[in-house]
Amino acid sequence: MQYLLDQVISGIAVGAIYGLVAMGFALIYKATGLVNFAQGEMSMITAYIAWSIAGTVSGNPWLVVGGALAASVVLGLAIERVVMRPMLGEPVFATVMVTIGLAVVLRSATLLIWDAYPHALDIGAGREIVHIGDTGVRSAQLAVMATLLLALGAFWAFFRYSRIGKAMRAVAADERAAKLMGISAARIHAVAWTASSVIAGIAGVFSALLYDVSPNMFHVGLKSFPATILGGLDSVLGSGFGGVIIGVAENLAAGYLAPSVKEITGFIVIIAMLMIRPFGLFGEREIERV
Amino acid sequence: MSATSVPAETALSRDGPQAQTAQARRGSLEVRNLQVVYGSAIEAIRDVSIEVEPGQIVALLGSNGAGKSTLLKAISGVLGEEEGKIESGVISYDGVDVTARSADEIVRLGLMQVPEGRRLFAPLSVDENLDMGGYIADTRTLAKRRAVVFELFPRLAERRRQISGYLSGGEQQMVAIGRALMAGPDFLALDEPSLGLAPIVIEQIYAVIRRLNRDLGLTVLLVEQNAQRALGIANYGYIIERGRIVFDGTAAQLEKNADVREFYLGVSGSGQKSLRDVKHYKRRKRWLS
Ligand SMILES: Nc1ncnc2c1ncn2[C@@H]1O[C@H](COP(=O)(O)OP(=O)(O)O)[C@@H](O)[C@H]1O
Ligand SMILES: [Mg+2]
Repeated sequence: MQYLLDQVISGIAVGAIYGLVAMGFALIYKATGLVNFAQGEMSMITAYIAWSIAGTVSGNPWLVVGGALAASVVLGLAIERVVMRPMLGEPVFATVMVTIGLAVVLRSATLLIWDAYPHALDIGAGREIVHIGDTGVRSAQLAVMATLLLALGAFWAFFRYSRIGKAMRAVAADERAAKLMGISAARIHAVAWTASSVIAGIAGVFSALLYDVSPNMFHVGLKSFPATILGGLDSVLGSGFGGVIIGVAENLAAGYLAPSVKEITGFIVIIAMLMIRPFGLFGEREIERV
Repeated sequence: MSATSVPAETALSRDGPQAQTAQARRGSLEVRNLQVVYGSAIEAIRDVSIEVEPGQIVALLGSNGAGKSTLLKAISGVLGEEEGKIESGVISYDGVDVTARSADEIVRLGLMQVPEGRRLFAPLSVDENLDMGGYIADTRTLAKRRAVVFELFPRLAERRRQISGYLSGGEQQMVAIGRALMAGPDFLALDEPSLGLAPIVIEQIYAVIRRLNRDLGLTVLLVEQNAQRALGIANYGYIIERGRIVFDGTAAQLEKNADVREFYLGVSGSGQKSLRDVKHYKRRKRWLS
């Protein structure tokens, strides 16, 4: 029983990382209709920047977090402006290929700027063990769960109450009609890329805290993609929950079946899922009515 | 000044009562020799010129595929979405050359379009659709305009929290018009507002269009296949065929014209007749002579 509890709790923590990255996927898909194959790489770049800051100013977690957040904003804005905006109006296939190219570029840049070895990210916090009942968890694990909850709440309010959030849903529903209302799709896209970069970056920093920074960190994108499919590619909140489900399922499969099953658990879950609800657990079914 | 005491006319205008009286009436549109090509191959409209004076209702009539929606998309600056391009010609609105302006600039100048097929934001509620219509406006103005929209379409007030995609066709058309009004336009271009609606609903929609024009002073460009209905409220009309304006005149002139009667109003010596029954060259020749 204790073993089960341990697996579930650490599964939720990993799942929270997947969930944050997955929300980033969904946000871009919702606003632009694209799957961004560079999501994991964006997450990795921000984690590396956090590591660089931590190496320069040691022992100040707030500075590291603040610097990483600022870097992720710049990264998101820059990618949208420099790489994606020129692709506006091009076929979706070509644009998705561009995100794959971007992923490769970001991976090489990581190796060029930093190095090929794993490093521990030490910000002077996050490693303390906290006990919940008999389960010991690291404070960073609790923090990432809290962050996911916060992100879910924030995005819920954003889509429901803010002008930009509603406009993002409008652009997702009908981009041309949104234009006719004076909504600038380019601006909405920029917001989506930026927000997506920020939550992916936060996930990257947590992942670095719990594990390492390493040039393999972009795999978090591959692990999180099933979470987005599970939750619904166009459902930002659903993707966040999807991450938790995948994280827990992975841990249980590894703990009770075989460690080697872990890597493919996510994909098995989504294959089963897609047979039952092709648009994801929380995805919006097209409303068709004339 | 409380929201309820503001008369509809000023609540809908973009800059309040003072500006309204001080300025010349807005809402004039002029299209000169417009040519639009899709995908650099298909010429959808050719050498089209139309003029709409402030306060008028002008009908643009034509059968399916004639180029009506293309003209409206060109005016609203959304051709780019479909690989369409203005090859030549000029569109000016209130004296401003808007040929190369972006869609949001045109909205800010006061020209709104209610697109064909309504194109609501289906997963959004009625209220949220209205919010999006007023995307360029501030919150206080939105509240006033929403009150005006609900006064015009009381049914929407009852349905304000419902998902717009599940409303009936007539209600959706009301949301589409209401949504456009939220931007506080001087000029409203409506693309086939009666399409697919029951006669009684069309009646209601037309009553509102007439009211918007008469009471609120909105200039209206009304695109229809339903010529009879449109000429019933229009001052002036244009007939477009295969991308060209083939006839124009006052509503009375159009209604009197033998060809218009035959092909668009379905009245002729030989009874009901479809456009397709007559060879194109014959119609053109008669109109151009
Ligand atoms: N996106 C498009 N791409 C290519 N051709 C188009 C497109 N939209 C319309 N057309 C063509 O342009 C012509 C005019 O279409 P449209 O303006 O929609 O006519 P209407 O609104 O009068 O029915 C038609 O021949 C149509 O096939
Ligand atoms: Mg049309």
